[in-house]
This record gives sequence, structure tokens and C-alpha cells, in this order.
Amino acid sequence: MINFLANPERFTRVTRPLRPWLAGVTALLFVWGLYLCFASPEDYQQGDTVRIMYVHVPAAWMGLTVYAAMGIASFFGLIFRHALADVAAKAMAPIGAVFTGLALLTGALWGMPMWGTPWQWDGRMTSELILFLFYIGYIALHASIEDEVRAAKSTAILALVGLVNLPIVHFSVQWWNSLHQGDSIFVKGGPTVAPDMLWPLFVMVAAYHALFAWLFLVRLDSEILARKYRALRARLSFN
Amino acid sequence: MSFWPKSVKARRRLTIFLIAAPVFIAAVALSLYALKGTVVYFYTPAQWIEAKVPVGKTVRLGGLVKPGSVVKTPDGVTRFTVQDKLKEISVVYKGELPDLFREGQGVVCEGEVTGVTALKAVQVLAKHDEKYIPKNVQKELEKQGEWRPGAGMDKPKPVQRPFQ
Amino acid sequence: MIRPALTLLKRDLGLSLTKGGGPLLAVGFYLTLMAMIPLSLGPDQAVLSRIAAGLTWLCLALSSLLSLERLFERDYEDAVFDTLRLGPLPLELIALLKCLSQWFGTGVILSLMTPIVMIILGAPVSLALMGLVSAFLGSLSFALIGGIGASLALGSRKGGVLMALLVLPFYVPPVIFGAGLMQAVQTSASPLQALAFLAAYALFALALGPIAMGAALRGALS
Repeated sequence: MINFLANPERFTRVTRPLRPWLAGVTALLFVWGLYLCFASPEDYQQGDTVRIMYVHVPAAWMGLTVYAAMGIASFFGLIFRHALADVAAKAMAPIGAVFTGLALLTGALWGMPMWGTPWQWDGRMTSELILFLFYIGYIALHASIEDEVRAAKSTAILALVGLVNLPIVHFSVQWWNSLHQGDSIFVKGGPTVAPDMLWPLFVMVAAYHALFAWLFLVRLDSEILARKYRALRARLSFN
Repeated sequence: MSFWPKSVKARRRLTIFLIAAPVFIAAVALSLYALKGTVVYFYTPAQWIEAKVPVGKTVRLGGLVKPGSVVKTPDGVTRFTVQDKLKEISVVYKGELPDLFREGQGVVCEGEVTGVTALKAVQVLAKHDEKYIPKNVQKELEKQGEWRPGAGMDKPKPVQRPFQ
Repeated sequence: MIRPALTLLKRDLGLSLTKGGGPLLAVGFYLTLMAMIPLSLGPDQAVLSRIAAGLTWLCLALSSLLSLERLFERDYEDAVFDTLRLGPLPLELIALLKCLSQWFGTGVILSLMTPIVMIILGAPVSLALMGLVSAFLGSLSFALIGGIGASLALGSRKGGVLMALLVLPFYVPPVIFGAGLMQAVQTSASPLQALAFLAAYALFALALGPIAMGAALRGALS
């Protein structure tokens, strides 16, 4: 399967018809999810502010997931010289950066009324900010090396080194006394979120995943096209 | 040695791995040792007492607001006690309190140590717990007498290791 | 393999100690930064003594960054790397030796000055010894991680700024633990934990840094 799709030509042929469907699913999930967000009950402590959670938590999860995917793609690109893996990692970075930025922003918006501060240098927030900086560094490094093959190699190494930050982000609320609350979904004894609030969260998570998949395919396709264009131009200028 | 690869490249790679691996293992062991103590973003009252925080130092204190301890005076000063399961610290604070601040709530107070168990806070932050419960459900539970405020907070968290 | 390694180490050490002003540049930068702190914050001794240790760590991190850009670039441009590659030394070892020379040439010298800088800024004298030890460990991590950044940015257009962006996030943990260590000493808490973190971080950098640098250099040279 992977080998079958590794050919960029075949990949675009298979995925292009999928894209409108994905876009439709994304839109539907977001409409449903956002409706649930506003239809869901107020929290006994946070009141309406709890609704920020439905935007914040999936964004933060996606920030981590996308970085992990970037790490895996970089690994395959580096070890097996997989052309599509390089392109995939490059295509993911800006999407992940936006998710992480969104998590930081919505976290600050939630923190202002709830904690009484938009920002504190506790373990979770600091490591999340560093994750954001990694994304920025990755994009900057890719942009500054002209040769595509070398850029892919260098950024892949950077992405792999940056993987050490992922467990730090995830476990920061357990390792250190932090202002940020601990995990409430994947914990022993089941989620500590009431079912009425869990549902909108899961729909939003699904919506974010669909959004990512769609954006990813679009970016991947345009990146493949851009490379083809560059290769064509290079060949033309030789003749 | 039969496991020793024949090609120069593979041999080189294995050598590098064999040299790097023990250093890496030492690093992991050392960080596991270091993780045994916590890096404190805030002290809990028990950690505070144990660490003998010196008077005059700026620290953060985290714990639950003791029910019935909050006293507000007209000049905007709030006095309350922060407790964990073992110890209590009294806090004085002048200024706006966050929405989540209430008795039984987890808070983080930053300020100057004014006594062995006293803190003059310049900032009070509410720490949200991991629980999300609809308002009407909570009211219902309260009516049935099933509701225990801060029920999640008084069971010991497995991650709150004592300060070294 | 030992003899070529020693020869290379001797050459790189000589270069980092003498070429282009040697450690003078980083030292000058370190001292200027230090002088700007009280000038920008006002001469309040109480404020200064509280933040002196942390600021010293920040200055140390920034000064370590300064000469990194040229770490591999000179030899890359002069095609020295192509020659070295033909020799018996693996690229990983070459990179490690270069980083160690860099560390001796700047990190160690900056570390030696760290206690003095701390005390001039108003930190208590009791911090001197721990300041020195922790600065050695921290600057070793800085040099090795900086080496990763330098090897990644090799041949890119905006080497210097790019490197700062890539490397500084990785400098955060030593700065946190270093400053935390100073605070632990000041409040007479046990410094062991922060020290263990610093040492662990340096060991991580020592184990993984050369492998990452080797891979990056191989990418740049191909």
C-alpha cells in the first residue's frame, strides 16, 4: 500500500478525487461540532467559558499528533530516501504550527478569566511554546536551503531531534506541579468529563482530524506540482 | 568475532552506536534520578514547611482554599488559608480574584513569604481541576446530597511526589 | 585512529584559540551584555542580586551562540571536510572533536568567568563554586547542541539568524536547570537534582549530538 502510493503521480491520481469528499466531511463535522459546543451544558465552575475547551483541546492534540507524524515521515525520508515522505513532512509543518498556535491562543483566552492570567511559565505552557518554536524553526530551515534534497535531509534531522519535546509536553502536567490541569480524557477510571461534554469534544476532534487530512492532501498536491514545475523549468532552461 | 560486520561502513556505524549507547543510558539514568524530586512550579503547604522557605523570598504556593477561611474586608483585602492534606498556610491578598476562586478551589498564589506559614500574595491564580460537569447535573447531585465539592481534589494524586 | 584524532583536535584547538581573535570575541560579548544589565535595569542591588544568577545564564547562552556559525562553515568552504572524509575518522568523531575544541575555546573560558560575572552583578559569593561547575556542564551542552544547529544550517542562506532560531529552544532546559540550581543554592535547598538534570542533558547532547551532526554533515557534503 505504502509502496503503491509512494509514486507521487499515482498518489495524486488516487487522492485528488477524495479531496472534495474530505472537504465536505470536514465542513459537516465542524457544523455538527460547533452546534454541539453551543448546545452543550454550562460547566458547574467555568460556566460558558468551558466552550473554549472544545476548540483548545483538539488543537493542542493535533499540534502533538502532527509533529509526531512529521517525525515519522522525516524518519522514512531520511532512512529509506522516500521522496514522498520528505514532501509530506514539509507539507505538514505549517498546519501543525497553526494548530499549536491556536492551542496557545485559546489557552490564553481561557486562562484570563479562569486562572486569572493568560500566561504562566509552567511546564505545560513552556513546552508547548517550545513546540511552536520547533515548527517555526523547521519551516525557516526548509525555506532557507535552496537545494530540495539537502533541505529535506537537514529538516528531517531537526524534526527527529525535536521529537524529544513531545513526551515533555504530554507528561509535563504529571512530572511537575503545574498550573495547567492534568489529563481528563485518557485517565485511569475513565474520563473525568461528563458525557454531555465529552460528545462535542470528540466530534470536534474528528472535525480537526478531517480538516488536517484535507489541508494536508491539498498542500501535498500543490507541493508535488511545484516541484514538477521547477523540474520542468530547469529542463527547459537547459535546452 | 562473528557478529562484527564485514563492511567498513557497517562496522563504523556499529562502533559509533556501541560508544553512544552507554552515554545515552547514563543520561537516561541520571534524568530518572533527577525526576525523583519534582521541579517545583509551586510549593504545596507540606512542601513549603519541609523546604523551610525563608522569609522575604518570593515563591508560589499551591493548594486548596480551606472552606470557611475566606474573609473579605471592605478595603479589597482578602484573607484565606491554603491547605493540602497535611498543612496550612495563611495568605493575604489585595486585588481582583479570578472567576474560579472559591472555597475548596485549587489556587496558586505568588508573593512574598512573611512568616513561617504566611504569604503576602501579589497574584492569585485559580487552578482548574480535571473535572468537567454540567451545571444542572451538579445542582441535581447537590439536591440529592450526593455532591462533594472538590471530591476529585482530596484523593491523593499519584503524581504529587513529595519535595526531596 | 587515535593519532589522526589528536592531530585534528590540536589543529582545531589552535584555530579556535587564535584565529579571528579567538575567545576574545565571545568574552567581550559576554562582558558587554553583563554591563548592559545593571545599566538597563537601574542599579537596585536588591533586584540585581535576586536575578543575577538567572541573567548570567542567559548571557552565557547567548555568548555561546556567537561563534558557532563559523564552527563548520570555514572548513566546509575550504573543502577541508572533503579531505577529512577521505581519512580514517568518521564524520561523527570529527564533529565531536570540533565541538569540543569550540567548547575549550569559548565555553570553558566563559565558564571560568561566570562566577566573577555573577558576583559583579550582585549574586552572593557563596554561589561561585556551583556557578562554575554548572556553567561547565551548561556550556558543554550549548557547544554540542550549537554544533547540531551549525551543521543543519550549513550552506543555507541566512546561517546566523537561522541558527539562533534553531538552537535557542534547545538551550532552554539548561538555562532553566542552571538558574534553578543557583536558586536552590541560594535557598540552601539540595542542588543535587538540578545538577543531575544539567549533567543528564550534557550527556544526552554528548551521545546524540555527534550522530545528528554526522548525518547533517553527510547531507551537506553529498
